[in-house]
Amino acid sequence: MTDLIIETRDLVKKFGNFTAVNGLSLEVPAGSIYGFVGPNGAGKTTTMRMLTTLTRPTSGQAWVNGHSVTEEPRAVRRAIGYMPDEFGVYDDMRVWEYLDFFAACYDIPEIERKKLIDDLLALVDLSHRRDDMVDKLSRGMKQRLSLARTLAHDPSVLILDEPASGLDPRARVEIRELLVELARMGKTIFFSTHILADVSEICSHIGIVEAGEIIAQGSMEDMRAQIQPHREITVTLRDQEAVEAVKAIVSGVEGVMGIADLEPRAGRQRLRIDYTGDDEGVADLNRRISAAGIAILGFAEETKDLESMFMRVTKGIVT
Amino acid sequence: MTETSVGVPMSGTDGPAGAALEGAAKVLRRAANLHTALAGLMLLVAVVAASRLVPGLYDLVRSVFLARYGGVGDAALAIVIIFALVNISALLVIMVSVLAREIWALPGLLLLMVVNLAVLLIMGYTPSLITLVFGTWAMLRLLRAPNLLRINPVMVRELRGRMRGARAFVVMTIYLALMSGFALLLYVVFSTASSLNASAATGQIGRVLFAGVVGIELLLIIFIAPSFTSGAITGERERQTYDLLRTTLLATPSFITGKLESSLGYILLLLLAAIPLQSLAFLFGGVSETEVILAFLILALTAVTFGTFGIYFSATQPRTLAASVRTYGTIAAWAFVVPLVIGFIVNLVQTGIFGNANAPNAPGLEAVLNYANLLLTSTNPFATAVQTQRLLVEQQVIGLYSVTLSSDGSTIPMISPWVVFSTLYLTVAATLIVLTIRQTQQVDVNS
Repeated sequence: MTDLIIETRDLVKKFGNFTAVNGLSLEVPAGSIYGFVGPNGAGKTTTMRMLTTLTRPTSGQAWVNGHSVTEEPRAVRRAIGYMPDEFGVYDDMRVWEYLDFFAACYDIPEIERKKLIDDLLALVDLSHRRDDMVDKLSRGMKQRLSLARTLAHDPSVLILDEPASGLDPRARVEIRELLVELARMGKTIFFSTHILADVSEICSHIGIVEAGEIIAQGSMEDMRAQIQPHREITVTLRDQEAVEAVKAIVSGVEGVMGIADLEPRAGRQRLRIDYTGDDEGVADLNRRISAAGIAILGFAEETKDLESMFMRVTKGIVT
Repeated sequence: MTETSVGVPMSGTDGPAGAALEGAAKVLRRAANLHTALAGLMLLVAVVAASRLVPGLYDLVRSVFLARYGGVGDAALAIVIIFALVNISALLVIMVSVLAREIWALPGLLLLMVVNLAVLLIMGYTPSLITLVFGTWAMLRLLRAPNLLRINPVMVRELRGRMRGARAFVVMTIYLALMSGFALLLYVVFSTASSLNASAATGQIGRVLFAGVVGIELLLIIFIAPSFTSGAITGERERQTYDLLRTTLLATPSFITGKLESSLGYILLLLLAAIPLQSLAFLFGGVSETEVILAFLILALTAVTFGTFGIYFSATQPRTLAASVRTYGTIAAWAFVVPLVIGFIVNLVQTGIFGNANAPNAPGLEAVLNYANLLLTSTNPFATAVQTQRLLVEQQVIGLYSVTLSSDGSTIPMISPWVVFSTLYLTVAATLIVLTIRQTQQVDVNS
């Protein structure tokens, strides 16, 4: 196991009677791209606000880069670059002034700032907008400028709250590429999202949060391995009678976890079988149904993606 | 400072250099505390001395604290208290500037020490030694980390924004146009009314013009200064930039002083721009340079203090609107309602008791009423300006003078209200700045 750069233990945050984060324990390895996934209101932003020292936990502990967020907030602030989900605009500033101001807030001496700003703007591909007013930028550009701002003091961890929300597809791809590039430069990237496509394409690690608790977390490989044996087979049949027959046949077979009726499509009945067996078992299932003389219109195994995994894990608790 | 590679902490306020700054601030606070204790002691002495139970108390104070002062003992007491209050305010402001790592912290401290040395040498004001000793101590600590002092980034950003585009110049144009129009109106009205005896009236015209311009300037400043500051912190919250700032290494004192510097800097510009208009009065005569300087002082201190009212409420309130309402409400209560209502009552009592031929022989009560009047006059900038000018014109009094009590014919020392006003406003402003910083830090921790 590599070093953990963000670690929380039984983190709890209550606002009055409402518990936003309920005993959350995170483990983010150094150098990873960690996708923090969960539905709206699951406590993602509150967790991030605690990690960035903006909110004090009600109980529990959190460390960033080995510093406790409650005991050594300044050390934590030095180690992180934070991008909240809303872009804070000073409407009367130029792009370079915006970066210059935040660099100055991080105690970077004036003589170093000019070169730093040029480098940062080149990194996020905004060099040509250097002297434009910040509020004239498009949303995607603002997001990139924000990202440049988080990098001003060369932090080791970036904590990004919904970096891709509200962006058009092109801007989203650009941000994604930037994140990968930053990870290659050695930054740990911890970002929240509810867009699973982002996670499956760039993340090395993932944590799924629901109602203030971590439901599952680990590296993407581990997660994929966990869901690999699990298959979903959709069987298309002619009528309800056939459906009942198939249910009767299949329900006793070993490895079948569940059978569910799907919405009929074009007058055909459809059935979903959750199955954990191997290829041989799938073929055997098909054979059994055919052997009973039931006409099969379709027998398809669906490839498992992150979305269905997400739906499965969060089943029942989604608010 | 240049080392910014991953994981290696940059030197900041929490390094050894930062500890030097915090140590210097602590030393300055101690000095301020000592001056506070002295001021408290002097007030106690004043009460005891006024009761005349311990004779010679005033002279004791004078010989201990103001050895070279030739005036009467009770005036010496007032001077000691005023100097102590000025020292407290100045030390607190410099303490904040050290914590905020302001570049002017070092020269500011030096200036305070020079002034104290001068007062010590000229008047023999021994409590100056507190400031001198602690100031040197703080200076030595500061010199260990002089490279940490810098130009406030918040101020730079605010001023860049404020002076950009037409807005700043439109505000200034409207402000000057209003005042010029008003001055013209005064001139037209007054010159036609007194056109018969022109040569005698020019001095009068000059004085009326000057008073009119300063009056309208005061009114404008009272409205403008809090409007600049009452949105300082709430505005950042509303624009959602406040959280961004809080995750940086920017310290709260830097944030607050940066905000104050930028808004007060602009107001100072407005005041300076209006000086030619005030000086128009010189054309007609009847106004002295002293009056112009004192008027500027009163205007500037009004702007600073009412500006800090604004920033204080901006720190305690969640929204700009709530902060503005509370700021203007407090200013109205502090500078207008309280002095007017209580001043009216005090005056009523005073004339009721001492205003007729058979006044009772109660010099103590009369003295207290006189001082209460002075204090109430000094809370309102208009009353202060009027009274100061009246004393200056009628009795050629700038600082101390004496008033003969009607009770027993004895005299008590009085001070021109601008002195009390300046001390009072400076103290209030310094206290509010310290409170604002404390309040902001507290709100952050509790959120």
